[in-house]
Amino acid sequence: MNGSGSAGESSAAPPARTVVDARGSWCPGPLMELVRVIKEEPVGTEFELWSSDEGSRKDIPVWLEKAGHQLVEFRPDAGFDRFVVRKTHE
Amino acid sequence: MAKRVVILGGGIGGTTVANRIRKALEGEVAAGQVQLSVIDREGIHAYQPGYLMVVFDKMRPEETRRDEAGLLHRSIQLVKGEVEKVDAAANRVLLKGGKEVGYDILVIASGSVIHPELTPGFVEGAHSFYDLANAQKLRTTLRGFTGGKIVVSVAGMPYKCPVAPLEVTFLLDDYLRAQGIREKSEIHYTYPIPKVFGIDSVAQPMQRLMGERGISVHVPFNVDRIDPAGKTIKGVEGDVLPYDLLIAIPAHRGADFVGASGLGDKGNWIPTDRYLLRAEGKENIFVFGDATNIPISKAGSTADYEAETVTHNVASMVRGEAPTARYDGRVYCWILTGLNQATYIKFDYLHPPHPPTPSFAHYWNKVIYNRTYWDLTARALF
Repeated sequence: MNGSGSAGESSAAPPARTVVDARGSWCPGPLMELVRVIKEEPVGTEFELWSSDEGSRKDIPVWLEKAGHQLVEFRPDAGFDRFVVRKTHE
Repeated sequence: MAKRVVILGGGIGGTTVANRIRKALEGEVAAGQVQLSVIDREGIHAYQPGYLMVVFDKMRPEETRRDEAGLLHRSIQLVKGEVEKVDAAANRVLLKGGKEVGYDILVIASGSVIHPELTPGFVEGAHSFYDLANAQKLRTTLRGFTGGKIVVSVAGMPYKCPVAPLEVTFLLDDYLRAQGIREKSEIHYTYPIPKVFGIDSVAQPMQRLMGERGISVHVPFNVDRIDPAGKTIKGVEGDVLPYDLLIAIPAHRGADFVGASGLGDKGNWIPTDRYLLRAEGKENIFVFGDATNIPISKAGSTADYEAETVTHNVASMVRGEAPTARYDGRVYCWILTGLNQATYIKFDYLHPPHPPTPSFAHYWNKVIYNRTYWDLTARALF
C-alpha cells in the first residue's frame, strides 16, 4: 500500500480509499496484492488498485464476482489501469 | 567519531549487504571511520530456499545452516540479540534485555516471520516446509506415504517465494512417480486467485504442465479453516476439500519489532520507496528484502538484487552524498518443475517474466547456485 485517504466527518463524504500501487508486480501479481489488502481493512473500505498487468482486466472482475466484492470503477491510465474496489463483507 | 551503520537481520539480505557495504567502504572501514554491525537473534544463517530441497532429499539439513560470524567479514561486528524496538527519533535500536545500539544509518533486513497459528487448524492439520523442523517432518511423512489425496494450499498472503506452491506440487508429482505410487494418489493444487499463478505468462505454462501430469486445480481458493479431525480444508468461497496429506503455506507477517516501533502497516511490512529502498519519511533508514511493503516477490533473489542499491545508497550517505541509486525491480528465480528439471522467471518493474521450457540445464544451474550461494551471495565475492 502506498497511500491512503481518510473518511470525512460529513455523512456525504466519500468512503476511505486506499491506493494499492501494484504496477510492476509480476510475482505474485496485482490480484494477489488486492486479495491481501482486502483482508486487512474493514468493510466499506475502497481500494484503488493500480496494475500494469494486462491480465488484471480479466482476472480482477472474475475474482470480485466470486468473492462478492464490488468493482466501483475501472479507468485505464497511461501504461496502467486503475480498479476501484469496495469491500462489501468480511 | 566513526559513522555507525547498523544492519538488522543476518539472513540473505542482511549478510550480503553487510559484506557489500564493507567492500564499498573498504578504506573507511579499515581506517576506523565507519563501523559496521549486524544484529541477529541467533547468529545462525539459514539458507531458506534449501528447505524444499530437504523435503525431497536434494539437500541435507545441515547444508542449509552456517554460523553467521563465519560469513561476515572480520571487520563487521556481529551482535547477537533480539530487537525489541527501533527508536527512530533517537537513532537507536533497543534489544531485549536492555542493550542499546546507536546508529547513524540503519538498514532493516529483518525479513518475514511465519505465523501458522493465524489459520484455524493449521498447526494441527497441515504440513509445511517453511522452517527446517517442518521440512524434515514433511520429509518423514512423505517417506511413509503409500498413496492417497494430497492437497497443496496457500493459507495467507503475502508469503515467501511465490513460486513455492508450484514447485512443491511438481516435485510431489515426480516423487510419487519415482516411488511407483502416483496412480494410487491424487494431487490437488489450490490458489487464491482464478488461475494457478499471478500473471498469465507464468500461469498458462504452469497450468498446462499440471494438466499433462494429472494435477487437479481448484481456483480461486482462499483458506478459511482446516479441520484436522475431519481431514478437510475449507475455502472462504465455500469449497471443502478432503485430504490425506495437506501441504500448506503458512501466513507471514513482518517482524514484531516493526509494529512496536510504529514503522509498519497492519502486517508489520514497512512502507518503502520502491526505487531508493528507503523507509518512507525516514532519511537514514533503508529497508529491503521481505521487510518492505513493495508488492514484488518476497524472495532471496529480490534481497540479493536490492542489496546492490542499498549498498550504493548507504555508501553515498556515509560520504555525505545524496543516495541516487534506484532499484529497478530486478528478480531472478528458478521454478523447479520436477526432481531433475526447472525453468526460471526473470523480470523487473517494467518487464514481465517469460519462463523458458523446463530443462535439466536450468535445474543444474539451481543446484550449482545452492552450492555456491555461501561465497557468491552471502560473502559477496561476486
